[in-house]
Amino acid sequence: MKKHTTLLSAAIAGAMLLAGCGKKDDTLNLFVWTEYVPQAVLDKFTEETGIKVAMETYSSNEEMTQKLFAGGGNYDLIQPSEYTVEALIKDNYLQPLDHAKIPNLKNLAPEFREMPFDPGNKYSVPWLSGFVGITYNAETIPGPVVGYSDVFTANNAGRIVTLDDSRELVSWAMTASGLPINDVTDENLEKIKPLLQDWMSKIKVFDSDSPKTSLSNGDVDIGVIWSGEGAILFNQNPKFQWVLPAEGFHMFIDSLAIPKTAKNKEMAEEFINFILRPDIGKMILDEFPYYSPNAEARKLLSDAERNNPASYPPGLDITKALLFKDVGAQGSKVDELITSLKVQ
Amino acid sequence: MTSSNEFAPVLPARRWWLPRGPAIQRVFFGTWTAGVFAFLYIPILLLVFYSFNDSKLNLQWVGFTTKWYGLLLQNEVLIRAFQNSLIVACVTTVLSVVIGTSAAWLLYRYRFPAQQTLGLLIFIPMVMPEVLMGVSLLVLFVNLGLPLGYTTLIIAHTTFCFPFVLVGVQARLQGIDPALEEAALDLGATPLKAFWLVIVPYLMPAIIAGALMAFTLSFDEYIVTVFTSGADSQTLPLKVYGMVRVGLNPQLNALSTLFIGATALLVIASQVFSRNKST
Amino acid sequence: MLGWLLLFVVVPTLMLVVISFCERDSLGRVIFTFSTENYVRAFDWMWLKILGISVWYAFLTTVICLLLGYPVAYFIGRSSERVRGLLIMLVMIPFWTSFLVRTYAWISILSQEGLLNAALTSMRIVSEPIGFLYTPFAVVLGLVYNFLPFMILPIYTSVEKLDNSLIEAAYDLGARPARVFGQIVLPLTQPGIAAGILLVFVPAIAMFAITTLMGGGTNPTIGEVIQNQFTKARNQPFGAALGVLLLVIFIFSLWLSTKFRRAEDQ
Repeated sequence: MKKHTTLLSAAIAGAMLLAGCGKKDDTLNLFVWTEYVPQAVLDKFTEETGIKVAMETYSSNEEMTQKLFAGGGNYDLIQPSEYTVEALIKDNYLQPLDHAKIPNLKNLAPEFREMPFDPGNKYSVPWLSGFVGITYNAETIPGPVVGYSDVFTANNAGRIVTLDDSRELVSWAMTASGLPINDVTDENLEKIKPLLQDWMSKIKVFDSDSPKTSLSNGDVDIGVIWSGEGAILFNQNPKFQWVLPAEGFHMFIDSLAIPKTAKNKEMAEEFINFILRPDIGKMILDEFPYYSPNAEARKLLSDAERNNPASYPPGLDITKALLFKDVGAQGSKVDELITSLKVQ
Repeated sequence: MTSSNEFAPVLPARRWWLPRGPAIQRVFFGTWTAGVFAFLYIPILLLVFYSFNDSKLNLQWVGFTTKWYGLLLQNEVLIRAFQNSLIVACVTTVLSVVIGTSAAWLLYRYRFPAQQTLGLLIFIPMVMPEVLMGVSLLVLFVNLGLPLGYTTLIIAHTTFCFPFVLVGVQARLQGIDPALEEAALDLGATPLKAFWLVIVPYLMPAIIAGALMAFTLSFDEYIVTVFTSGADSQTLPLKVYGMVRVGLNPQLNALSTLFIGATALLVIASQVFSRNKST
Repeated sequence: MLGWLLLFVVVPTLMLVVISFCERDSLGRVIFTFSTENYVRAFDWMWLKILGISVWYAFLTTVICLLLGYPVAYFIGRSSERVRGLLIMLVMIPFWTSFLVRTYAWISILSQEGLLNAALTSMRIVSEPIGFLYTPFAVVLGLVYNFLPFMILPIYTSVEKLDNSLIEAAYDLGARPARVFGQIVLPLTQPGIAAGILLVFVPAIAMFAITTLMGGGTNPTIGEVIQNQFTKARNQPFGAALGVLLLVIFIFSLWLSTKFRRAEDQ
């Protein structure tokens, strides 16, 4: 027994030594969403600057904060969404950006310079943004579809896919009830419960990762999903129409930010400046058909890309977009409400 | 098939399936097994089929192509992730087999205080939801000062894989003839030697089964990996999970096809090799 | 081995127990205090119902895996030594593909415009495509598919060591196949069956990726709920509390079953 323990501690010590040797400070450590930063962009960055890039990935904001707070890695750059940026700023967890090092900030569209969660881009720079809206199969759904009330009809029961995201579901019901989406109080949750209950009894599939699958396979005909998913579906077959809900639509913004534990702040700023270049922005948009915060990169898009109604909704008034604010501990209540409605 | 048995006259001649089962029984078990194999391989055949399909979508047959294989071979990131998975799964398998087998033997052979408790504790990693395991190990590693990487990933994987080996080996140990070990000990072998020379060979089928399960579990683990891996040890499941969001790439089908094909070849080759050796 | 168990199993588990009595801040970080609130909340009928559903799915999966897998394990274990290794490898190889790749292959078989429906409609067995996917049927199919090898392998190792002479003797004495199976084969392979049940049932309880992908996520399972506390709801302490409860229930039933077995033996 004793021998095993000695062996084990020896192995651990050896591993630590090895890992210690491997640690370099000339590497930029990214902690980003899975499949959200094209490898070609990283390669080009390394080629031009000589800075090596190491990348770790996550698939939800909470997963990221969890690993970040545990102190698992020394990340130089993270990619939180708007409400998480807000929470991290409030928590003093982000380093202010040195704008002199990021001259390409000028390429950002003006509306993305003054976002309420971080006015003036003091701590964060938008990477990509997108919407949550309605996609429907025009061959099987007669239409017209303008808002949530056209989705969750008796006729569509059992033919609906939505995101599997408690905060999203609650925010749609609040919008449809005329409540501000960030007032997630117990009282308001109670108010929207009957409506949500009715909606959720009609949903066949909850899927945040690939809601396009059930639509393109014909298992459902209408869905409330990410605009990027809608754009992919539209490219696949134009019968998949896209609509921003008339009651109000949610816009998400994933940003780049530097945590206070970062070791290589200047490299991180260099990377931010790099991705703000129009040509690099275009590289990102070629892979991900989302709404670009980069006005200069948008100009480089092909007609087909720009005319995709899900990526760039015609007649979009961005000032009407609804943004999520951090709801803190109340998130747990939101989750419990949705879980309880699923179980019923 | 039976040719080699002629060279082993000491043993009673073994028949193909059942020593003296009625033919109908043989046919039943044979057909049943064929049916289950068909069930296991239907999606795999489909995946092989799609890896040669000239379309990004897994729905319709468009035309034959090998372009996904070409793209795959150029896709350094995917290949790197695959290598990482393979390394982690192999080391995990070895560690799990060592820990699982020796633990099963200790629990079976020796009586010591708190033995029953220990026997129960071993099941914790099996019943613990992956996320709890991932997060708690992450906190532990950080407190131990272990940087996230291969080491932490392998430790985490081994921790949830070895109970699978242990349970299989334990089942095999039940009803083992105590004379086996006693004979070895009487002949002057040390307990360790007796274990190594007599017990391990007897346990071999269970060890192999356990190794197969451990490899499979480690190779495919996602959630524990999320929390315990570092930038240098990003494995295939992490990559695949992200790819779902932009649409599963047929390169993945090609990768699966290549890997399955290679292992199948290896297995068959080893069979042929052992046959040649024995004749 | 003991060191490993202590350091990587016992210590993390104790950590979870501690966390389950704590609170958390608005960003989900653990605040170390003492509160039993998480356990009070966990005993709500809703979470128990979710646990019940998970156990039910795991139970169904185990039964079907046993029925499907036993004859396979028996067949492989009784076939000549030469092919045994090959066949057992063949059971496992399909699972050396990525889980998601396999599952999406099943989705493309079962969906409305999928292969199964195409086959059924072209053979005129059905006139309208059937919605196989996103049903409890699809969930059980997915679970059985993914857990089947974990039933077959341990049973195989028990069958493999069956004593031929015992079975031959039974036949020589004129026993019928059913009797040979019931009175000799089954009791002798019982340890393998028990191991297989354990290896399928226990992990299947906490499994959830299949229920979300093939079931449409309409029935949350205990594994999913616990996962959500960490990756969505920012409520680690509550997730830990649910996990600890699951652990206690499991350890208790295992302890009970060994107690009974011992009582039977004596």
